[in-house]
Amino acid sequence: MTTARALIADDEPLLRERLRALLARLWPELEIAAEARNGREAVELFDEHQPQVVFLDVHMPGMNGIEAARSIARRALVVFVTAYEQYAVQAFEHGALDYLVKPFDEARLADTVQRLRERLAGPAPAASAATGLEAVLDGLAAELQRRQANPAAHQQWIKASVGSSVRLIPVEQVTYLRADEKYTLVVWEGGEALIRKTIRELADELDPARFVQIHRSVIVNLHEVVQVNRGLNETAEVQLKGRKELLPVSRSYLHLFRQM
Amino acid sequence: MPPVAVSVPTRARGLDRFVAALSLKRVLIALALATLTAAALNPLFITPFAVLLGRLLVIALVLLLVFTAAGSWPVPWLPRWLVQVLAVGLMTPVVSYLVYLPAVQGQVFEVLRHEGRLSGFIWITGTTLLLGLVLALGALYRERDAQARNQALTFELERSQLERQALDARLRLLHAQIEPHFLFNTLANVQALVESGSPQASAVLRSLIAYLRAAMPRLADDGATLANEIALVRAYLELMLMRMPDRLRFEIDVPDELAARPFPAMALLTLVENAIRHGIDPSEQGGTVRVEARQEADGALRLSVADSGVGLREAAVPGTGLANLRERLAGFYGPAATLELAEQAPHGLVATLRCPAEVRA
Repeated sequence: MTTARALIADDEPLLRERLRALLARLWPELEIAAEARNGREAVELFDEHQPQVVFLDVHMPGMNGIEAARSIARRALVVFVTAYEQYAVQAFEHGALDYLVKPFDEARLADTVQRLRERLAGPAPAASAATGLEAVLDGLAAELQRRQANPAAHQQWIKASVGSSVRLIPVEQVTYLRADEKYTLVVWEGGEALIRKTIRELADELDPARFVQIHRSVIVNLHEVVQVNRGLNETAEVQLKGRKELLPVSRSYLHLFRQM
Repeated sequence: MPPVAVSVPTRARGLDRFVAALSLKRVLIALALATLTAAALNPLFITPFAVLLGRLLVIALVLLLVFTAAGSWPVPWLPRWLVQVLAVGLMTPVVSYLVYLPAVQGQVFEVLRHEGRLSGFIWITGTTLLLGLVLALGALYRERDAQARNQALTFELERSQLERQALDARLRLLHAQIEPHFLFNTLANVQALVESGSPQASAVLRSLIAYLRAAMPRLADDGATLANEIALVRAYLELMLMRMPDRLRFEIDVPDELAARPFPAMALLTLVENAIRHGIDPSEQGGTVRVEARQEADGALRLSVADSGVGLREAAVPGTGLANLRERLAGFYGPAATLELAEQAPHGLVATLRCPAEVRA
């Protein structure tokens, strides 16, 4: 058997150095083929060096460890290194992979080395193990998405030019939006600004549970509505928190306030 | 800017108000009082009681409608209560006179010629005028009283909501202070330094201790100053620098004369943590975090945390940190404190905190 080779991927240099130092003591024959600082580098270096063992940090900038594992998992033994991912710990306990929870001690790493050496000496992993791995990766990816600042289905911030800067306004602070030819006027707690989007585009991008169009040219934040006044001819007007102006509700949108 | 507001016809709203003000209770009171008046006046009249009662019931109901209507359609230049009282006063003789018309087959002057009817008319008008005006004033007084109570309740509710929000913000601060991810990753780095016998280890431990001490749950903001907060921010950034030396650079620029300013604990740290978590950490290249404090002309404190990281996408879910921070600022400084986020060129984000010179009592 040729010398086993390994890849270490972690964005924190001190942790890469420590793992390298510990492995040198516990598994002197193991050659560290490369060190990667993020998931993208890990995949590139894996393709270049084709190591049998990969130590992957789960949380890395750009491409994370889970995504990197998806593209290399079937071709190497992957050990995840992670800090306090309770869910990950659970997932790995049911899966076929090994994992290390940071900070780990030398004895724990010795177990992992033992397991890896046995696996490398034995027959190639069965297909069932690979299927189990896929499930573990799916679960982990879903969990990571849930925990991280993952893009929501709807717009959470409105970018508006105020003077020379582009302000980011949290949508929950927006009181209402009104069409102004090709632009839209955003009115929020801290002021008002024109943005380069049409009311129609905004109606599609904003969360419909909070923002409703009440008129051809007006969208209001329902949480900011204080009162709806009925008028003649199936029209109404809306009064908003802390604002003097009343906004028109046209006939075709009046049904929104029927139950109120 | 053309106003969006359109004026809605007042007629429809007046009708709404009219229906709302005409409560069953008011109708019943008017009818009961009319019955009592009829009973009291009965000995003076030769007219059968039923007729007298009928007349008075009709008068009471019509006057109630007049009173309610006068209150529902505003008259320019005159206060509502005056319009209502005047309407009742003026309409009383008219209505009393009208209820006599059926008895004289519509002969308008017949009522005045018949001495008995004339005295009946005068009695009814006098009594109704007296009772009607007393009743109208009473109703107005009760209305005003209810409005005042309503307003007091609304104020009380708003105040208790604000207090609860401030308390909630503090409780959340107590709960989610030190992120386990951050702590365990940092400890893993410290472990690496200690094991390798690095001389850096003790300096890093000092930063960790300073950070943990500052981040320990505290209920009161008593004695929290900008200097304490900057020490906390510096300790945090030193720890992050140890973890990502190749990706992070930071600068802290705070004039000494601002150090003693009172400042809510963890407020600036929240912004710096956000800059690392959402700006620098997701970036393969990393970037610079710059913390700056300045005093404005009006004595207000302006703090900014700028990063040259990946910036923010419009669909990025805002963390609870910013919402908590806004509540904390409102609790510490009142509504004058503001927090603004803006994009940095060519990429990154700058958060600007403006705190008034006066701390809320």
